[in-house]
Amino acid sequence: MKEHRVAIRPPLERAGDTRGESRRLMDRWWTELDAAAEEDSLVANVFVMGSLAEILNTFDIPMSFPEIASLQTAVKGKAMDYLLAAEDAGYSPDICGYVKVDVGLHLTGRQHPLGRYPKPGMVVATNMCNTYIKWSEIWERQYECPVFVLDLPGWRGTGFAYDMGSETFKNDVKFVEGQLRELIALCEEVTGKTFDIDKLREILDNVNRMSELYRAILATNKHRPAPFNALTEGINYMGIANILRGREDGVRFMETALAELDERIDKGVGAVSPEQFRLLLVGTACYTNFRDFVGLFEQWNGVFVASEYMSYAGGGIDRGVHYDLSRPVESLAEQILITAQPSMSGIFFSHEWQANVVRDYAIDGIAYHGVKSCRTTSAGLPDAREWLMRNEDIPGLFIQSDLVDSRLWAEAQLKNRVDAFFEALQSRRVQVGA
Amino acid sequence: MLVAGVDVGSTQTKAVIMSDRHEMLGHGLCPTGAKLDEAGQTAFNLALAETPYSETNVAFVVGTGYGRFRIQFGDAQVTEISCHGRGAVHLFPNTRSVLDIGGQDTKAIKVGTDGQVIDFNMNDKCAAGTGRFLGAASDALEMPLGELGPLAQTAKNPVKMTTTCTVFAESEILGWLAKGRRIEDVVMGVHVAIASRSMSLLRRAGIEPEVTFTGGVTRNSAMVELISEMAGVQVNTSEESHYCGAIGAALYALDQVRTGAFAERGAPA
Ligand code: SF4
Repeated sequence: MKEHRVAIRPPLERAGDTRGESRRLMDRWWTELDAAAEEDSLVANVFVMGSLAEILNTFDIPMSFPEIASLQTAVKGKAMDYLLAAEDAGYSPDICGYVKVDVGLHLTGRQHPLGRYPKPGMVVATNMCNTYIKWSEIWERQYECPVFVLDLPGWRGTGFAYDMGSETFKNDVKFVEGQLRELIALCEEVTGKTFDIDKLREILDNVNRMSELYRAILATNKHRPAPFNALTEGINYMGIANILRGREDGVRFMETALAELDERIDKGVGAVSPEQFRLLLVGTACYTNFRDFVGLFEQWNGVFVASEYMSYAGGGIDRGVHYDLSRPVESLAEQILITAQPSMSGIFFSHEWQANVVRDYAIDGIAYHGVKSCRTTSAGLPDAREWLMRNEDIPGLFIQSDLVDSRLWAEAQLKNRVDAFFEALQSRRVQVGA
Repeated sequence: MLVAGVDVGSTQTKAVIMSDRHEMLGHGLCPTGAKLDEAGQTAFNLALAETPYSETNVAFVVGTGYGRFRIQFGDAQVTEISCHGRGAVHLFPNTRSVLDIGGQDTKAIKVGTDGQVIDFNMNDKCAAGTGRFLGAASDALEMPLGELGPLAQTAKNPVKMTTTCTVFAESEILGWLAKGRRIEDVVMGVHVAIASRSMSLLRRAGIEPEVTFTGGVTRNSAMVELISEMAGVQVNTSEESHYCGAIGAALYALDQVRTGAFAERGAPA
């Protein structure tokens, strides 16, 4: 009989709580989407960067996150079917993989591996990624649904220390607030409901609490050994932070997650055992080969203690959201700007953010994963890597594949680079120790 | 006591047998082909045949290259990035930058004084501009690989290749010939295209002298000349450069035996 070993760890009372809860909540989300598809009721398509869930939830408009749905087809091993359907319809291989999976889903009868996929009754996008706008136009043409694009001004100064008391910032807030009021009017029109400012206050309060908990979750990984893998488990926290943003059950989920992580810290249980290398992931994972991707690093007992994805795709929740409930709409506009502008300037300033994370989380090396079909998250990665190596002496690995397109996954080449990176980290450690 | 390094690359497999005093006692070289494990064994046997010893005298074998996990008789694996770095510093102790143009990828490696990798840059997944490109040129021109370098060195007015894609190489080469350009000018164009691409990787890693050029393409005199010219320094090469990955692997094998990290498996030579 083949010999199997299991990791011997102290018993954990809360083991599996978060995973179970995130599964239950995700299943429930899909049940709602499936029901909406069946009944042809109103669903809004929104994006992870700037979902404006606060306003949509005030009107009880169910939200579909096409980026998350596309990602899930990849994890389920089905993304290629949809990608090819989109390419057959004339979409180029260079276009964002998430878009093509979504287009393929719509062209092939909206059957997602996790349930029926509703058609959008409205779309809320931002200009945080150019693709969002073009993607929204596809649905607009296909379903003649209203599309609302929030036009967010990027920061116009040099460097990234901006002044919230400045005229520029105040003008930006007015500009965004005006647009939020337009969205409120659109929601009133689509649902036939009147805007309830107290309900918005409640939702904003929930986001404040969620944000605090999310930040506490991230901070647990400053601990050694790090209690969670910011890639595998981090994606669950981020998924729930998006789909349940501003909802009471979202807050409870974050509490559950934090309690489980605190227990792991108390008992000294790490995400990998023994923890050898603490890593930061910049970019996203390859979801078609998610396990293999993680395995490349875990083989060397490397753990992602932080991930940039948990930051920018979490709708800014990691940066600390503090809504002022006495002036909800204005405060929403302010906070959107505060959290969005750093992400929008990410290409130019992400190296500074990375340097801070490296210090705060005692990181040994950074893995940069360039996504072939996404320029928004991939441009500038080699430059950030070089800057950190030269200025902060932080070893960096650069690899490339895709989010959902398995044709761009080359296991042998990836493994070669990852192995060489760890070999270099190992010899560096010996040198430092010597 | 003997150790071995076996480098199963995408086109060729190289093996060396090394003594504990770093003497290179045997070399083996064969095409890799489809059966990676057999190629590893063949190169190892060829190297061993150059020595008076048998396999049982080899205490430790490190495999490297893309086929490193397929070497059945290997004791451990190290990537060719680490092996080329280590091998280059062993051959030329003042090496700080290494350029390896391999069959399907090109690596620019920055190394420390002991040959440890400080940083590396590699070409993308696609084999554009790697050694495979020279192979495509040799096929298109029906000319042995070994003749390309000397022919290129006679060029007076090299063409400017617009592609380094191995798939389009043939049509572009034939296109230039159809336009009446001299064959040596076309071949030199191919060399310049590969050298330029490799240089951009090297520049990104940082060109710090001494620069050591490794891998099979070091046997191509035109390429050595071009790389030296573009880097602004005479790059190091030697007869052993082709075996650099295997040499690095053998040195790692020696470390293992010396530090006792792994039990020796062979009888002392
Ligand atoms: S950020 Fe990248 S992956 Fe996301 S929608 Fe834009 S292009 Fe696609």
